Amino acid sequence: MSQKSERRGIHVDQSELLCKKGCGYYGNPAWQGFCSKCWREEYQRARQKQIQEDWALAERLQREEEAAYASSQGAQTQPTLAPFSKFEDKKTNVTTRKVTTVKKFFSPSSRAAPKKETQEAKAPSPSISRQSSVETDKVSRDFIDFLKNLQKPGRDIHKQCRVFLDTMANKKEVSAEEQSEYVQDFYQNVAEKLQVHFKGSSDRVERVMDQVEKYIMTRLYKSVFCPETTDDEKKDLAVQKRIRALHWVTLLMLCVPVNEDIPEVSDILVKAITDIIEMDSKRVPRDKLACITKCSKHIFNAIKITKKEPASADDFLPTLIYIVLKANPPRLQSNIQYITRFCNPSRLMTGEDGYYFTNLCCAVAFIEKLDAQSLNLSPEDFERYMSGQASPRRQDQDGYLSHVNNSPSLGQAYQNLEQLSGLGERQERVLEGARRLERDLIEWSDGVAREVQDILDKYPLEICPPASAIDSDNVENDRLPPPLQPQVFAG
Amino acid sequence: MASGGAGGGSKSYSFKVVLLGEGCVGKTSLVLRYCENKFNDKHITTLQASFLTKKLNIGGKRVNLAIWDTAGQERFHALGPIYYRDSNGAILVYDITDEDSFQKVKNWVKELRKMLGNEICLCIVGNKIDLDKERHVAIQEAEGYAESVGAKHYHTSAKLNKGIEELFLDLCKRMIETAQADERAKGNGSNQAGTARRGVQIVDDEPQNAAAAGGGCCSSG
Repeated sequence: MSQKSERRGIHVDQSELLCKKGCGYYGNPAWQGFCSKCWREEYQRARQKQIQEDWALAERLQREEEAAYASSQGAQTQPTLAPFSKFEDKKTNVTTRKVTTVKKFFSPSSRAAPKKETQEAKAPSPSISRQSSVETDKVSRDFIDFLKNLQKPGRDIHKQCRVFLDTMANKKEVSAEEQSEYVQDFYQNVAEKLQVHFKGSSDRVERVMDQVEKYIMTRLYKSVFCPETTDDEKKDLAVQKRIRALHWVTLLMLCVPVNEDIPEVSDILVKAITDIIEMDSKRVPRDKLACITKCSKHIFNAIKITKKEPASADDFLPTLIYIVLKANPPRLQSNIQYITRFCNPSRLMTGEDGYYFTNLCCAVAFIEKLDAQSLNLSPEDFERYMSGQASPRRQDQDGYLSHVNNSPSLGQAYQNLEQLSGLGERQERVLEGARRLERDLIEWSDGVAREVQDILDKYPLEICPPASAIDSDNVENDRLPPPLQPQVFAG
Repeated sequence: MASGGAGGGSKSYSFKVVLLGEGCVGKTSLVLRYCENKFNDKHITTLQASFLTKKLNIGGKRVNLAIWDTAGQERFHALGPIYYRDSNGAILVYDITDEDSFQKVKNWVKELRKMLGNEICLCIVGNKIDLDKERHVAIQEAEGYAESVGAKHYHTSAKLNKGIEELFLDLCKRMIETAQADERAKGNGSNQAGTARRGVQIVDDEPQNAAAAGGGCCSSG
């Protein structure tokens, strides 16, 4: 079977022009020789099958793991050897599995048919939750792979995690704070055990803890991110609205030490904005933190290019506030709360990531409380800007122009527009001239006609009947010799 | 929060130190001088001077120092508590030629004592002593004030590299003492959970009571 799938997966026979299914339509090499309709069917089938198999694999691995654990408990005489060889076994198993599943993805072979029916009987419709669990399944597999290197403590951790996840599944109704407590207690528990195992090598403990966090939080994400028991969503909307209302805030008002005129700097700022927006798409608290850190690094770069010296907090915080205002990151409060509740605390408190996260919290707090004074504006101006009655940009043309100049591409666009309007004017003038010329020409010809008419009127042409030819009545003409003919000389 | 990574006999401490001070008192120069030993230098390698770390070894004890710079502008004053939550030490910098900056320091001290009590080690630092001729804050006044609030006073010059090493070394020693006293009081870290839990939070809630929640959920493994 693998042979067959290999042939199909890698080498595509160009001669098979018709759909492989024999439905009569033409096939396409890009669809493995199927027509579009049959390919879609086969693809869906293969996909569902893979999801099912992954699921089965995860369960089987877990069973094996438990069995291995039990056997290592039982057979004290050779405690390491047996499970180790088994691990080796499993490892190769897993890798080959992976390869075949990838192939399977692209090779909807006929062998799937009998199996498929039983599957469909089991799961009549591939539910949506199943499909979305592909990511969590992948994380589970990675986690299992990672723990294998740790041998016995790895199995312990895996078991603990599973037990913990089961417990959490029953705790969906409890408040977010309690959920946070459970998760934090769990982290601490595992970390303490690891401390003992690794004899205090905190680097290794950290590494394992990162994986544990990744596994647990990917699994729990759906149920604990922005839960209904909290007002996170309301806060999200409030912040979003607030930031939208503050769209008019300029670099100058915040005293941001960044010069957007430099193309490099404005590019970096765009990257920073992208990073902070991307935070929402991550599931693991640590990955979310990494987005904030990346964003911060971009900001530091922008400041360094502008100021030519390392950025201090005095420079950094205003710039971060500006970026948050420009980005209006989705579900900002939910994300902050989620990180606060479920991130590994050691990372949040002293680490660099923690520092940037704290600054983000500060930025949000500042935006929420911001008033006229904090932007060096008079309360009246602030009110007018907030209500949309006036815009600081429209008010002072200088500021507006400098803003236009801020972005080179925007400046170029404006220049082009100006040139275009100039061209339009010239075109208009040319047309005008052409019309005038036409008018002149018509007038001229009319004038000429008129003049001619006038003259004709003035001096009417009298055609007298021709007087009889001078020599018509000269009869003797006939007698004249014929006119001389030109002579051609030889030559 | 001095997380004592107890292992291999020797202890290691992680301390968080916040740096407070008005805009141009030289906070940045101070830390850059300490961590990079450079002043107004074109060759400063670090991208930023807002978060810096330094590893120290004091009497066989390893110390990881994380120095958090804070935005000193008046408009960000209200954000202070978010920054200095859970910090072990605070360095309050003023410019000896600027009376106002010393007043600011006084405000911060009041606030810190109110929010964090006596657990935090305070250092009041008069920077720019190379400009002693233009001094506007009297030495006696500053030192007297420091003593009255239980803080230590230091004179530094980032430009001349004076007093900075001493400042940080002294602070670390004091933080270790505080941490040790803390441990003894709590009985060998039985309440680590409580301290490790007060992570960064935006909402000004009561510190969560970790001990009450217990860890029963995952002890079955």
